Amino acid sequence: MKKVKTKKDQRAYFWFFSFLALILIFLFGITSPYLGYYWLFGILFGFVLQKSRFCFAAAFRDPIIAGSTSLFRAVLVAMAIMTVFFTLIQYNAVQGGALTIPGRISPVGVHTIAGGFIFGIGMVIAGGCATGTLMRIGEGFFMQVIVLIGFLIGTLWGAWDYPWWERVFISNSPTLHLAQYFGWTGAVIFQLVLIAVLYYIAKKYDDQNNILL
Amino acid sequence: MKSKIIIGPWSYLTGAILLAVLNTLLFAALHTPWQITTGITYWAAWIFKFLGGAPENWHYFANNASKSEGLSQSFLSNSLSLMNFGVIFGALLAVLIASQFKVKKIKSPKQIFAALLGGIIMGYGTRIALGCNIGAFFSAIPSLSVSGWVWGISAFIGAWVGSKLLIKYLL
Repeated sequence: MKKVKTKKDQRAYFWFFSFLALILIFLFGITSPYLGYYWLFGILFGFVLQKSRFCFAAAFRDPIIAGSTSLFRAVLVAMAIMTVFFTLIQYNAVQGGALTIPGRISPVGVHTIAGGFIFGIGMVIAGGCATGTLMRIGEGFFMQVIVLIGFLIGTLWGAWDYPWWERVFISNSPTLHLAQYFGWTGAVIFQLVLIAVLYYIAKKYDDQNNILL
Repeated sequence: MKSKIIIGPWSYLTGAILLAVLNTLLFAALHTPWQITTGITYWAAWIFKFLGGAPENWHYFANNASKSEGLSQSFLSNSLSLMNFGVIFGALLAVLIASQFKVKKIKSPKQIFAALLGGIIMGYGTRIALGCNIGAFFSAIPSLSVSGWVWGISAFIGAWVGSKLLIKYLL
């Protein structure tokens, strides 16, 4: 592992900005309920992403370019943990009388494939996904400011074109939730087994192809 | 041990477990899991508005109650916008505590082109696929949404094409 050269002690800035962040939790929190918590969650996500050098673009790219699946497998572990807890939250919400299942459940169709595909190309040539771009701006990368400018243009363009995608594809696409097919318990077991199988394949692939080993 | 925690890097597995815990806590406490790009779309729309545009009349915002409400807010009063600023701020804190902050300049014009183009197609992709690697993938698969798996496979194929382009034109 390459040792990062530290130029000078920046911890005074750390304490200053931490203090500022703390005050802002209060100031945001007092203007609107929960706003301070969103700010806090963002900070915690950013801190963890940077400290663990967690990059979703690399999770998708490294298996292809370097034969390395360690980051991809870490994403799978996160998915397995969240599958259990997200399903419990959903189940309890539905038992408690919620009319729709909470969480990120979207219609699936041509728009998902097209959007995911071009996002995949974009994140590799830009050298970072949405989270990676924000994280690297915080680290001081000027390049990711350019990526963000592109992102802003692209997302506005997509919002402008959205009615067409909605009319042709999204409104005709089904919203599919695994519990519809397997029941709650079955869905969790199905997904965990699927993740475990992918993990196993990714580990085998890494053992045979990793050019860094 | 102490310096390993402060300086890092933490292992990918440590990062993955902490991100999973944070996303679960966010979902449990605030009823909606992590997402990034709706907040970024508001940023774009507010800048466009500042430049004289009227995105509030667009179908995308006007025909959706939560999006038109979000658009009526501002950089510091919208929850998703603020959470994105938090990600930048948190990464800044993480480098400062390790004394690793350094402004990194751009090396070549080719890189600028790749960054801009990559950003644009990522941005467009998030609108039509209803999210990015977080909302349409990292929060969608654990929500047992089939869309998360389809997005993941599609993004993987895209990453494969992107890698070929990267090797051919950029490296």
